[in-house]
Amino acid sequence: MIQSRRNFLRALPAITVGAALAPAPAIASAAGEEEGKHRWAMVVDVQKCIGCQACTVSCIMENAVPENSFRTIVSTYEVHEGKHTGTYMLPRLCNHCANPPCIPVCPVGATFQRKDGVVVVDGDRCVGCAYCVQACPYDARFINHETGKADKCTFCAHRVDAGLLPACVETCVGGARIFGDLNNPNSKVRHLVDQNKMKVLKPEMGTQPHVFYLGLDERFQGRVEGEGTLWQPSGHGA
Amino acid sequence: MDSQIIEVLNVTRETAWLPWAVQYFFLIGLSYGSFMLTLPYFVFGRAQYEKLGRLALLGALACGLTAPVALLADLHGPGRFLNFYLHFQPQSWMSWGSFFIPVYLVGLLLYAWLALRGDFAVQGQGGDSLLTRLYRLAGRGGVAPRMAISAAALLTLVGAVLVALYTGMEVMVVHARPLWNTAFLPLQFAATAFAGAIGLALLFNRFVGDHDTQLEIGLNRLLVLALAVVLTLGGGWLFVSLSGVSPSHSAAFSQVAGMPQWQLTAVWAVLATILPMALAIWRPASSGLITGLIAVHSAWMMRWTIFIGGQSIPKTGAGLYDYHLPLGGDGLLGIVGTLGLWIALLVLMVDYLPWAGQAFASRNKKETNALATSAIAQH
Repeated sequence: MIQSRRNFLRALPAITVGAALAPAPAIASAAGEEEGKHRWAMVVDVQKCIGCQACTVSCIMENAVPENSFRTIVSTYEVHEGKHTGTYMLPRLCNHCANPPCIPVCPVGATFQRKDGVVVVDGDRCVGCAYCVQACPYDARFINHETGKADKCTFCAHRVDAGLLPACVETCVGGARIFGDLNNPNSKVRHLVDQNKMKVLKPEMGTQPHVFYLGLDERFQGRVEGEGTLWQPSGHGA
Repeated sequence: MDSQIIEVLNVTRETAWLPWAVQYFFLIGLSYGSFMLTLPYFVFGRAQYEKLGRLALLGALACGLTAPVALLADLHGPGRFLNFYLHFQPQSWMSWGSFFIPVYLVGLLLYAWLALRGDFAVQGQGGDSLLTRLYRLAGRGGVAPRMAISAAALLTLVGAVLVALYTGMEVMVVHARPLWNTAFLPLQFAATAFAGAIGLALLFNRFVGDHDTQLEIGLNRLLVLALAVVLTLGGGWLFVSLSGVSPSHSAAFSQVAGMPQWQLTAVWAVLATILPMALAIWRPASSGLITGLIAVHSAWMMRWTIFIGGQSIPKTGAGLYDYHLPLGGDGLLGIVGTLGLWIALLVLMVDYLPWAGQAFASRNKKETNALATSAIAQH
C-alpha cells in the first residue's frame, strides 16, 4: 500500500506502466455470451458519493450527450436540520426497471428491454413523440435536441457488451456506483443486494427498479419536498 | 426534528409535449364537439337547427383539418408518422390514436361532402368556369339520401368517440404524473371540448353567420349546461382529491395546492366557467360574443394547464420547473402558425364551400347586394 505522497510519487512510473499494460476494468463476462444469462444492475452507495459529477461528465463524453441534456446527474441538496446543515448527494439515472412503464406506451415499439434487462431506444424507429418521457416516473428520459428522439441512460450497453464497465462506474471517484450481474452469485452487486437492505426510488410505482440504493434517506426516495432547483439549463431547442 | 431541504443542483427536464400538443388536443376537441352540433340538422332533419348545423360543420372541418398538422409538428420530424403504421403497438393508446384520427377525418370529410352535396349542385348551376364545373362534379347526384348522410355521420361519430376516448386515455394512463392519472381527465377533456365547440359556434354566429338572436339564445342555454358539467367534473375531482379516497388524486392535489401559480390557475379556471354561465343566463340574447370567447379560451386553457403546467411538476426533484414560452416553432410561432392555418382554411371554406345553403338570408342578401354593387361599378 502506498502510504505517503513521496512513496506514491516514487511508485508512479510503475503504476502507470502497470495501468497501461493491464486490461481496462472489466466486468466478469464479455460479449458473445448467451443473451438472457445476465441481469445487469447497479448499486449506488449514497454515502460514498462525493457529488463530484465525474459520472455526469464521463457519461456525456462517452455517449455524446448534447449540451444541456443529461443521462445521469448527481442531484445535490442542502439539508438543514436544527442547527446543522449538510449536503446530500443522490446519483440519478435510468433505473432499468423490471416493469418499465416507458415500454408499453411507445406507439411504435422503439423502446424495448434487452434480455439482460437493459432498457434501450431503437433510434431508427423512434418518432420522438415523447410518450415514454412522460411515462417514466424518474424523469430519466428526454428528447435529444440533436436527433429529436428519445434519449436515456443505456447502462453504456455498448461498453457492457464489450466486457467493460459503464463510463459512470469506471470514473466514479468514491466507488459509489457498483455495476454487475445480478444473475451471477459471485458478483459484487449480488452480494450487496443480498446482504444489505436496499432501497429503490419510488417503490410504490411498482416499476421494480434495478438501480438499488444503499443508505438512501427516505426523504429523497420519491419526489423531494423542498425548495426548487437553483440551476436551470436553457430552454428546449437552445 | 424539523428539516429543510434546498435543491442545489439538479436537471430541469424540459417540456417534451410542446404547445403543438396543446393545439392538437384543443383543435381536435373543438372539431368533434362541433361535429356533434351538426347532427340535429343534417342527420335528424330538424330545420330549426339548420344555421347551427352549417356553422358547426365549418368549425368541425376547419379545426379537424388543422389539428393533425399540429400533431405532426410535435413529432420533431413529420415524415416519422409512417412508423405509426409500420409498427402498430396494440398496448399503446397513442398507437391506436394514429388509426382513430384517419377514421374520424375521413368520416368527417365524407359526411361534410354528402351533407353539402345538394348545395354543391346548386352552386354548380349555370356558367362554365373551372370552379362551377368542380361544384357540378362535387354536387353530382344532388341532395344526398338521408341514409347516406346518416351512414357517414355514424362513421364520423364512431371516429369522434374513439378520438375522444384515446385522447383522454392516452394522458390518463400516465401513472408517473398524478395530475394526469385520473379517470376524470377523459371526461373533462370531452366536456370542455363541447363547451369550446359551443363557444366557437357562438363566435361563428357573430362573425361568419348572420348574428341570429334565437341561435345565440339557444347556444347560450346549451353552454350553461356544458359548463355545469365541466364544473361538476372539476368539483368531483376536488372532492375525490380532498376526501382521500384515492391516493393518486390526493398526491396530485398536494403537488399543486400550495403553489401560488396553481392557486391562481384554479381561481382563473373557476371564474372562466362561472362568469360565462352567469352571463349566458343573465343576457342570453346579447352575451354570445363574450361567452363564446371565454368558452373557447377555457377549453384551450384547460389543455395548456394540463400539458404545460403538468410537465412543470418535477417527478423526482423539488419545486417546479420553470417554463418560458419560446418564441420559435416550439412555442409562440407554433401556436400562431396553427391559428394562421386555421384562419386560412376557414377563409377558403367560407369563400368556396357552399356551406351556407339558403339558411342565411341576410348573409345571402348582403352577398347579392355586394355583387350587384360591383356590377354597377363596372358599368
